[in-house]
Amino acid sequence: MTKNARYTLILFSICAVCALILAIANSIFSPIIATHQQEANNAAMKPLSSGYTIGEALAVEGNANVTMEYPLTEKGKVVGYILAITGKGYGGAFDLLASYKSNGALIAAQMMKDNETPGLGKKSEEDWYMKKFIGTGTKDKPVPTAKSQLSSADSDAISGASVTFGGVSKALAAGAAYVVAKGGSK
Amino acid sequence: MSGRIKEFTKGFFSENPTFIVVLGLCPTLSVSTQVSNGLGMGLAATFVLFFSNIIISSMRKIIPDSIHIPAYIVIISTLVTLIQMFLQAYMPSLNEALGVYLPLIVVNCIILGRAEAFAKYRGVADSALDGLGMGLGLTMNLVFISLIREVIGNGTITLFPTKNWNGVINIPLFGTYPVRVLAASAGALLLMGYLMPLFKDLVAKMEAKK
Repeated sequence: MTKNARYTLILFSICAVCALILAIANSIFSPIIATHQQEANNAAMKPLSSGYTIGEALAVEGNANVTMEYPLTEKGKVVGYILAITGKGYGGAFDLLASYKSNGALIAAQMMKDNETPGLGKKSEEDWYMKKFIGTGTKDKPVPTAKSQLSSADSDAISGASVTFGGVSKALAAGAAYVVAKGGSK
Repeated sequence: MSGRIKEFTKGFFSENPTFIVVLGLCPTLSVSTQVSNGLGMGLAATFVLFFSNIIISSMRKIIPDSIHIPAYIVIISTLVTLIQMFLQAYMPSLNEALGVYLPLIVVNCIILGRAEAFAKYRGVADSALDGLGMGLGLTMNLVFISLIREVIGNGTITLFPTKNWNGVINIPLFGTYPVRVLAASAGALLLMGYLMPLFKDLVAKMEAKK
């Protein structure tokens, strides 16, 4: 056996044993990691569920904004959805979670990941920011997408971060439209 | 027997990896913002050092010199991946706090340094003691630096939370008037500048007494 072939064989053997050990470890740890991540997701979604039971996650394909849906149920009946929604703000793409009743009315929303400007668009991470949208999203009360549709206090609060407001409102409106399109609107 | 004890204790004082040999300073400076991070990083590195030294020492006659670096990297990265999986599963907040510095243990100078300078030439028992001593010495340094930085820079001591306790001890005076520079990156360098000569002086005095 040539020297190079022997070296290759030794390295290959070390790699193979290491890969085997990692595969065994992965089979032990990955279910625990997955359970933990699910628990962390549920903890993040709990304040948005308004006391309803959160169902199994379902990936959404073919929608520009909605990426995941989690049905909200009460006594086994679907009464709304929590949606994972992506949008575009001043600092690029952002991710938020929003819960809706079956008629599209927003229950609650929380910004999860964004690159907005600190002190301006970053305010969208705070609890009060999303309150102006609660209850909107139905046919009678659409999501406000322009500053002129807001009260003067709300309009002042988003001053200097109109692009973030536009992105958030469009994302929330897309979520409401998705829920309504599922056939829940009455 | 005393030789074996020396292999273990040298990592704490005469060959202390941070203050004397000055290795692995990047993670030392970056994760020493909280005591829990320092302790977690130190114990993770100890696990990797201990087992990498044992494995490399036991394979020293099998691994040829020409391919020893890739072989060591594969062994060390396997151990680091194992500890990362363990932390993700059981201590996710610590895993998040250590961030990129946990996978970077793979290329930590202390681990490769001990493999190159010690485990490659010595027996399994000596290498195991060397790895354990160096790892615990590093843990001692990280906890010590973290403790100073967190107490003075933030007025807290952060340990691991339990069901009934959030894991944070508040320090009265520094809680009200923290010296923020110590919690920042510049503070870590500043502190190292003071601790290194102090530690070297202490070790020199200890050696002189012998």
